[in-house]
Amino acid sequence: MNSGQPAPGSQASLRESNRLRVLDALRVQGAMTQVEIAGQTGLSPATVSNMVKELDASGAVELAPSIRNGRRAVLVSLATGNTLLAGIAFGDRDVRVAIGTGPRDVLASQRMPLPADHPADEGMERAARLVHDLVEKVGKSMPDVKAVCLGLPAPVDSVSGQVGSEGILPGWRGVAVASEMEGHLRAPVVLDNTANLAALGELKCGALQGIEHGVYIKLSYGVGAGLILGGELFRGSAGTAGEIGHLTIDENGPVCRCGNRGCLETFIGSRALLDALTPTHGALSLREVVARALDGDPGCRRVLSDAGRHLGVAVAGLVNLVNPEVIVLGGLLSRVGEVITAPMLASLERCAIPSAAASVSLRPPQLDTDADVVGAIAVAEERHAAAEGLTAALAAPT
Amino acid sequence: MTATAAPATTAVLSLKGVSKRFGAVQALKDIDFDVNAGEVVALVGDNGAGKSTLVKTIAGVYTPDEGTMTFDGRTTSVSTPAEAQRLGIATVFQDLALCDNLDVVGNLFLGRELYRGRALDEVRMEQESWRLLRQLSAKIPSVRIPVASLSGGQRQTVAIARSLLGDPKVVMLDEPTAALGVAQTAEVLNLVERLRDNGHGVILISHNMSDVMAVADRVHVLRLGRNNGTFHVSQTSTQEIIAAITGATTNAVSERASRRVQKEEQS
Repeated sequence: MNSGQPAPGSQASLRESNRLRVLDALRVQGAMTQVEIAGQTGLSPATVSNMVKELDASGAVELAPSIRNGRRAVLVSLATGNTLLAGIAFGDRDVRVAIGTGPRDVLASQRMPLPADHPADEGMERAARLVHDLVEKVGKSMPDVKAVCLGLPAPVDSVSGQVGSEGILPGWRGVAVASEMEGHLRAPVVLDNTANLAALGELKCGALQGIEHGVYIKLSYGVGAGLILGGELFRGSAGTAGEIGHLTIDENGPVCRCGNRGCLETFIGSRALLDALTPTHGALSLREVVARALDGDPGCRRVLSDAGRHLGVAVAGLVNLVNPEVIVLGGLLSRVGEVITAPMLASLERCAIPSAAASVSLRPPQLDTDADVVGAIAVAEERHAAAEGLTAALAAPT
Repeated sequence: MTATAAPATTAVLSLKGVSKRFGAVQALKDIDFDVNAGEVVALVGDNGAGKSTLVKTIAGVYTPDEGTMTFDGRTTSVSTPAEAQRLGIATVFQDLALCDNLDVVGNLFLGRELYRGRALDEVRMEQESWRLLRQLSAKIPSVRIPVASLSGGQRQTVAIARSLLGDPKVVMLDEPTAALGVAQTAEVLNLVERLRDNGHGVILISHNMSDVMAVADRVHVLRLGRNNGTFHVSQTSTQEIIAAITGATTNAVSERASRRVQKEEQS
């Protein structure tokens, strides 16, 4: 038990938990009036009134006049000052958007399913609208958004600011994503890879906290990795470090969407897994494969454990190169747990240097699907801090 | 067109050879349609393709002239909407049919109020309302505000929550994202996925291809009252489905073109 906390069961601890309840409700629902907070949390209006007064005095919430049902009301929202950061993460089948004041202080988030082959302009427009909507929901306006980070599930060339490969994410080919999003949002936009962002998210407030050298592997429709070296995210010279999905496994293997042959993704990408199951199981979605594997379907389990075996070979290479302390396996497929991790660890032990394999431990992710958005907010924060530092340096007398 | 391999799970609802005629108009002809538990099936088609007729047939508004309907493994026929609801088929129509002046609880339990003795059991209804809305992770500020003051997405949420009251096996949503903004559409699409994850079979009628491709597992195309193909979303493209909707794959020009290709291949 933390000594700073009040004793369990005491009046003070009850008060503390009610306080958290109010703050949680505001985080989930956005700005609300006191009556609405009472309805949402189940606390009495008098308690909420006291609580809000207290939170306002400590600067945790902000109050603004508003109107509900024709009556004057006070709109309560979480305090943000005038700095908001936005994180946008495109997955293979959805986009997730969050705004907050830092990676640990996410104020509001929203997810929207997207078609697999959506064109870039549609995706960006929808993401931008969601950001506008969330900002409005927390009772702020767009000029408060100081920096935005957008993550894509594809290698991102940090020099040109475009998707760094022709065949991956075809709808986004040749689009100047950052500058176009800046047009939508009127705030500086940084581009990054979602596996990198997820690694950063887990580093800032998840399973990789306090780790010096670690690897985050995102195993979903595709596979990617984010490398944490020396306690920081390693992006490489042009931002494409950690593209584990396009490591060559078999020189004469099938042709990959990136244009090479025998990449890891041609063995464990969603297309390969689903094609392997088509003759016996018919057309499935990746989500169904995961669900059936958890239900004990032998075919689905076999395909996934084969994927784990292939992944282990690639990870062994990574372990030999980087010698990480911790590997975090995240993404949709990681939910099957043992089915993938056991064969993965087996081939890791077979292929990696024994001492390197012995010193690495596998951990489940802590942030689940939010890791990349949290990471995106962390990048946006860095970007904002750098811009602030620059203006401060310019303003300072020489 | 992709041939549908026999699904490993049995269908919750399946229609075989359903036909419906209104006087001289053959609205539906020989329709086969099925939905599995935990699956989203989108029903798409041009205006007048028979979507609404099919939905109303499933919902018990119309009785089909021919064909059989199997629900949960048993052959059944539904002749009234109430019967369909008792069976476990819930429908959310496009106009939502909410009463603007009633609050969320009032709307959810309209016509099936819970009683304690002679009085309404408001407490239990309110608790049940919150339970349903939480199950959908719905973002509703309060269950005691009139529905008129809710946004389009929130109203849709209330309508869907109401349909879940009898714990149905199949939920039909008619144009749930029409007339909604992007953020509200996002909310409704998340809701559809949540229904699926909770094991409901979902039938989604929509004109918006990007919404359909985003959440559906299978797309069922109707054209001029007939089946015009079933597509698995993971194995098809928007273009292919639009071709099936508009009949671009079956008109004279494309048939001639395909004959030419065949001839060239033979020679």
